[in-house]
Amino acid sequence: MKKLALLSLLLLPFLAFAQNGIIRGSVIDSQTGEPLFMANVIIKGTTTGASTDFDGKFEISAAPGTYTLQFNFIGLTPTEVTEVIVKANEVTVVNSVKLVPKSELLETFTVTAQVNRESESAVMMMKQKSVKMLDGISSKKMELAGDGTAVEAAKRVTGVSVEGGKYIYVRGLGDRYTKVTLNDVRIPGLDPDRNSLQMDLFPTNLISNIVVAKNFTADLPADFTGGLVNIETKAFPDEKIMEVSLGVSYNPSMHFNSDFLTYDGGDLDFLGFDDGTRELPSNAKNPDNFPRIIIDPEGMKDMTSQFDPQLGAESTTSLLDYNFGFTAGNQKKLKEGNDSPTLGYVFSLNYKQSQVHYDDITYGEYQRSQDNTENELVYADLQKGIQSAQNNLIGALGGIAYKTKKDQLKFTLMHIQNGVKRAAIFALDQNTNAVGKSGYIGESDNLEYEQRSITNALINGTHTLSPDLEIDWRVSPTLSIANDPDIRKTAFTFAVDTSFQAGNAGVPIRLWRELDEFSIDNQVDVTKKFKFNEQDAKLQTGIAFLYKRRDYEINQYSLRFLGTQNWENNDPNEVLLPENIYPDVNGEGTYMTNDNNNPNSNAYEANAINAAGYISGEIALTKSLRSILGVRAEYFNQKHTGRDIAGASGNIGGNVLDNETVLETFDLFPSVNFIQGFKNDLNLRFAYARTVARPSFKELSFAQIVDPLTGRTFNGGLFEYPPDWDGDLTSTYIHNVDLRFEKFMERGQLYSISVFYKKFIDPIELVRNPLINTSFDYQPRNVGDGQLIGVELEIRKNLEFISPMLMNYSFSGNVTFVESSIEMASNEYNARLNNARVGEDIEDTRQMAGQAPYVINAGFEYGNIERGFNAGLFYNVKGPTLLIVGTGFVPDIYQEPFHSLNFGCSKIFGEERNIKVDFQAGNILGDLRQEFFKSYEADDQIFTEFDPGRSFSLGVSYKF
Amino acid sequence: MTAMAAIALSFTMTSCDDDDDDEEGGGTTIGTVTVNQDITEDTRWTANNIYVLDGRIKVRPNVTLTIDPGTVIKGEDGQAADATVLMVMRNAKLMAVGTADRPIIFTSVLDNIQPGQIESPTPNNLQGQWGGLAILGNAKISSGTLDPNGGGFDVDQIEGVPSTDTDGLYGGNNDDDNSGELAYISVRHGGTVLSSGDELNGISFGGVGRGTKVHHIEIVANADDGVEFYGGSVDVDNLLVWNNGDDAIDTDQGFSGTIDNFIVLGPEGSPMELDGPEGDDLGNGDHTITNGTVVASRGANGPNAGDLINFDDNTNVTVNNVHFTSVVDGQVINPNDEATNVATITNITIDVPAADIPNYISTADPSINANVSAGTEGKADASMFTSWSWAGVSGAIDGL
Repeated sequence: MKKLALLSLLLLPFLAFAQNGIIRGSVIDSQTGEPLFMANVIIKGTTTGASTDFDGKFEISAAPGTYTLQFNFIGLTPTEVTEVIVKANEVTVVNSVKLVPKSELLETFTVTAQVNRESESAVMMMKQKSVKMLDGISSKKMELAGDGTAVEAAKRVTGVSVEGGKYIYVRGLGDRYTKVTLNDVRIPGLDPDRNSLQMDLFPTNLISNIVVAKNFTADLPADFTGGLVNIETKAFPDEKIMEVSLGVSYNPSMHFNSDFLTYDGGDLDFLGFDDGTRELPSNAKNPDNFPRIIIDPEGMKDMTSQFDPQLGAESTTSLLDYNFGFTAGNQKKLKEGNDSPTLGYVFSLNYKQSQVHYDDITYGEYQRSQDNTENELVYADLQKGIQSAQNNLIGALGGIAYKTKKDQLKFTLMHIQNGVKRAAIFALDQNTNAVGKSGYIGESDNLEYEQRSITNALINGTHTLSPDLEIDWRVSPTLSIANDPDIRKTAFTFAVDTSFQAGNAGVPIRLWRELDEFSIDNQVDVTKKFKFNEQDAKLQTGIAFLYKRRDYEINQYSLRFLGTQNWENNDPNEVLLPENIYPDVNGEGTYMTNDNNNPNSNAYEANAINAAGYISGEIALTKSLRSILGVRAEYFNQKHTGRDIAGASGNIGGNVLDNETVLETFDLFPSVNFIQGFKNDLNLRFAYARTVARPSFKELSFAQIVDPLTGRTFNGGLFEYPPDWDGDLTSTYIHNVDLRFEKFMERGQLYSISVFYKKFIDPIELVRNPLINTSFDYQPRNVGDGQLIGVELEIRKNLEFISPMLMNYSFSGNVTFVESSIEMASNEYNARLNNARVGEDIEDTRQMAGQAPYVINAGFEYGNIERGFNAGLFYNVKGPTLLIVGTGFVPDIYQEPFHSLNFGCSKIFGEERNIKVDFQAGNILGDLRQEFFKSYEADDQIFTEFDPGRSFSLGVSYKF
Repeated sequence: MTAMAAIALSFTMTSCDDDDDDEEGGGTTIGTVTVNQDITEDTRWTANNIYVLDGRIKVRPNVTLTIDPGTVIKGEDGQAADATVLMVMRNAKLMAVGTADRPIIFTSVLDNIQPGQIESPTPNNLQGQWGGLAILGNAKISSGTLDPNGGGFDVDQIEGVPSTDTDGLYGGNNDDDNSGELAYISVRHGGTVLSSGDELNGISFGGVGRGTKVHHIEIVANADDGVEFYGGSVDVDNLLVWNNGDDAIDTDQGFSGTIDNFIVLGPEGSPMELDGPEGDDLGNGDHTITNGTVVASRGANGPNAGDLINFDDNTNVTVNNVHFTSVVDGQVINPNDEATNVATITNITIDVPAADIPNYISTADPSINANVSAGTEGKADASMFTSWSWAGVSGAIDGL
C-alpha cells in the first residue's frame, strides 16, 4: 500500500492534468446512529474539503492519489480515515464514518478505509443505536446472499418467516398482524384475502434496504403487531452504476420436463399481462340481457360460441428459468463547489420468467369418523395431479432526486407487472362414506391466469430549516390491480357414462375476478432537535392521511347441457366444439349460463380513510438511559357498498349497504420505549405500545364469495348467526410489551435476547360454520381473547475466536419461540366436545390460528473481500402452525415445518472487479411443502402436499 | 333491523299484471302474479293465476301457504346462491294438494305451460333452470351438529341455500311433525347448484316429520337429485323421477320413512343413493324403499345411470320388491359384504339372463345374491301415474 502511495506521489506531476476523482461518503453519530449535519471533512494536509449535508453526506473532488480524510464535529472526537484511494474519473466511497463522543483518552481516532468499509453497515448501526427496536437487511447483504426478491431477503431478518413464498410474517404472527410499507408509505396489497403485500414482486435490485420495526412508535401507523416491514427503494447512488445482470435457474423436477402443462394464452403473456384474449365477451356481463335457452336458441349459440373453447390443459416441455436486469444511476453536482446542488437519478429494470411444475400435488379433505371410538380420519375428497405455472415478472423503477445542503426533493415511479399462467389436471375421488358426500370419481382440468400490477409514485421532500429543525413530507399514490381473467374448471364425473354432473364433480365453470385498489398516502413529519439534560433530544410530530378505495367483482358462468351427455374421450376441448354447441342438429347441446345477480352480490366497493396525528419525544433521562414517549391519534372510517344474495334479488331480509359506514373509530395509541446503555456495547431495551388490527374491506361486508375451485364460501363478518355471533365485527386491540438485552461487538457481531408479550382483545379468526355439512363456509368473527409470550435469541459471531484461521467465517442465527393461546368461542368448544374421541381431553383454549410456535433462521458464512469471494449456507424453518381451525367433524389443519436449506456463493472477477458470478442452490434437503389434518391419535392426513424440488441457479453481472 | 323491515313490508305480492289477451283454460283470464317476498301470512294461490317466484321465497313459521289444484308456479332463472326456491320453514305449512286430473305444476319461466295443461312444451330433459322446493321440518336428523340455540337435538343447513341464511335450518325432535300436504305435484326443470356438491333437489325434505302427507309426486329434469331426504320420518307414496342429473332417490342423515310405489327413469347418477345416519347415530335411520321399477338406461332418450343402488357402510335400509330394466354393463348394486352390511335387500329382479346376474352385483356375498334374481316384470303400479304426470301423459312410462 505504501508503495502505491509512493508511486502515485511520483506520478502526481503527470496526472496533474488528468481528470480528478471523487470521494463520496457519509458521517454518522455513533451515539444515535443518525447522520451528522454540517460535519467537516478535509483531505489531511490540504484545504480541500467539504461539509456534510442534512443527510450526513459529503463529496470532495481530488486528484488521483491516496489520502487521509479528517472528520470533525463539535463535541465529537476527530476521526481520520487513512488510505483512501482516489482514481481518475472514479468515485471512492467512504460510508458511515462514525464519530464517537470526545474522551480524554483519545485525541484522534484513526481507522483505515478498508476497516471502515468492513465495519457494520448503516442498518446495523441503526439497529444498535435507535431507541426503536429495529432489524433489517441492507442491499449489500442481499447481494452477498444472492437473494432475488424481497421475500428471499426478508427471511434473513430476525424473527421473519415466509408464507407461501410470497408473504412475510414477523415473529410467527399471522398475516393479519404484519404490515408492509414502501418507502414509509402504505400501499395496497394485491390479494383480496390478505392484509399484507406480496413481497415476491419486488426484485432486490430495486431495493436499498428492508427494515422491520418490531415495536410501535407514534410516528408509525398503529395497525401492526408482529412487525412493520418497510421496503426502501434505491434513490441516490453514491457512485455511478451501470450494471447488467443475467441469470438462469434449473430445477431438475421442473425444467426440461415434457409433462409441463399449459394452455394457449395471449401474445403478451411473456410481459406479464393478458392481451385481451381472456376478456369476458362484452355482451356477456349483464345477466338481464343474457340469452335464454329455448326462448332464444340463436342468441344462445352466438353467446356460447364467443367463449374461448379451450377447456383442457396440454403438455409441453418446460425450459429454464431466466432473468435479466439493468440498473443505472449516478449523481452529479450541478455546479462546482461545496454548496452546489446535486442531481441524482436511478433507473432499474428487471425481467424474470420462471416455470413451476409439481408432478404430484395433492389436495385432500378429511373428516373425523362418525364413530367416536374410531380415531383414524376418513377421507372425503382427494385431488391428485399435475400442476404447472409460468410466471412472468417485470419490475421497473425510475427516480430522480435534487439535493442541496439543506433540502432534498425526490420523485420515484415504480411499476411491477406480473402474470402467472397456471394449468392443472387432477384426478378426483370422493368417498361415498364421508358425511355429506355422495361419492364419485372424476377428472378436472383447471386453467387459470393471475395478473397483478402495482404502480406507485412517491414525491418526497426533506427540508432542514435550521440545523435543529427538519420537515419531511411525502405524497404517494398507488394503483394496484389484480385480475384473474377466465379461470376455467372442467370436471368430468366418471360413471357408466362420462358426463358433467352438478351433484358430483360439478358442471364446467369459468370466472372473471377483478380487484382494483387505489390509495394515496400523505404524510408530514417535523423533527426538532434540542438539548435536554445536556443530551441530544428530539421532538417529532406529524400528520398522516391515507385514503384507499377498492373495487372487487367476480362474474361466474357455467356450462350446462341439454340432452344426454357422454364424453367418451373425456377431452375437455371437445365440449365447446361448434358441433356440440346448443342448438346442435338435435336441438340439444352445450350452452352457457350467467350465474350472477344484477346488481352482483359477488361484488363490492369499499373505501377507508385513516387520518392520524402524533407527537413523540426522544430524550435522554440520564447519560445512558434514553427514551421515546409518544402518542398517536388515529381516526378511521370504512365505508362499504355491497349486498348479499337476498339483497341483490330485492327480497326483504336482504342486506344492502350503500356506501354505509361499517367501522368508525377514534383511538389513541400510546407508546413507550426505553434504552439503557451499559458501556458502549450493551443495551437493555423496554417497550410498551397499544396497537390495532382492523378488519379488512372484505371482512366488514355482507359478501358471500364462493370459490368454485375449492367449493369454500367466504361470508362477510356482518352476517348474524344467533346465538353464536351477533354480526358486530370490530377491530382487535393489542397490548405489546417487549424487553431486549443486546451486546454489540466489532464488525457487526452481536448477541441479543428478547422477551415479548402480547395480549389480543377480540382477535379476529376465520370460523367455520358447523351448521353446513356439505360445503366449507367461513366467516371472520371476533373470538375469545388471546395472548402470547415469546422469546427471541439472536447471535452473529465471527469464528475468529476459535482460530485466527477462521477470521473470514461467521455464524448468524436467530430463534423465536412463541407460546400462544386463545379462548375458544363457545360454539367451537361445544363442537369439539361433541366430536371428541373416546379418551380425548378437550380444553377450552388453543394455539392462535396462524401463529407459529417457533421460527429459526441460521446462516454460516464465509467472506473474503480482498479475494472477492463470499459463500453462505442458510437454513430457515417455521414450526407447525394452525392454519385452519377445525370444527365438528372437520379436524384442525396444520402447516408442517418446511426445512429450507440454501447455499449461495459469489466471486468477483476482473482487474476492475466488475464481473460477478454467483451460484445458488435452493432446498438442498429436498423437503416437501405439507399441510396436514391432525386429530387425536390419528395419522396425519394431507390437506396440501407438493414437492418444490431442488433448484440451482447461476448468475453473472457486469459493471460498466 | 331486519325483523322490523319484515313487519313493515309484510305483503306477499308486489306486482299483479293481468294479461287480458292470454285467455286459455276454458275462457277464464289467466293472470300473472310475481312473488318476490316471503310469505308472512296465510296465503292461497289459485289456478286462475300463474305465480312467478323470483328469489328465495320462504313460507315463514306459523304461516300456511295453500295452493289450489291446477295452479302453475314458475321459478325465475337465477343460478348459484341466487336461485329461486320455495322454502317451507320449520313450523310453516304447505298445503299443495292437486288432483288426479288437475296436478299442481312447479316449473321454470321458460316453460310456456298454461293452467289446465299437463305436458310442458319444453324439452323433458331441460335441467337446472330454477331451484326447487325445500320442505323443512322438526323431525329428528343425525347431522352431528347440535342446535346452537340449545334445543338438545341436531340441526343442519339445507343444501343449496347459503349458510348465511339461517332460515334454512332444519331438524328437531318431533318425528310426528306436520309440514302440510303435498299431493299430485309435478316439479320440472329445477336444480341449480350453489357449489359443487351443494345443490338444490327437485324436492328437498329436511327433517320432515311423518305428520306430513306426501303422495303422487313427479320430478322431471332436475339438475341434481330428484328427491332427497335429510333425516326426518315422512312417508312418500307414488313417486316418479324422470331425467334428472344426479341421483333419483337420495336418503341421508338417518331418514326413517317409507317410499312406496315408485318409478325411476334413467338418472345420470344413482337411481337410489342410500346413506346411513351421519354424525352421532340417534337410533333412527331405518328406512324402507319398496315396490319400484327402475329403467337404468334409455338409449337415445336419456343417460345411463351410474349404478343401480349405492349404499354406505352404515345404511340401514330395506329395499324390497324392486325391478331393474334396461341395465347396461357397469351398472351394479353395490352393497357391502355381509360382515359390515346393515342393509336388507329382498325380492330384487333384473331384466337379464339368470347367469348374468352376478355381473350386476358388486359383491359375491351369497346372502345378498340370493335375493337378486332374473325377471322381466315391473314392480311398480304404473297406473298410479298415468292421468296426472307428464311422464304418464306423454307415454314415457308405457309398458312398465
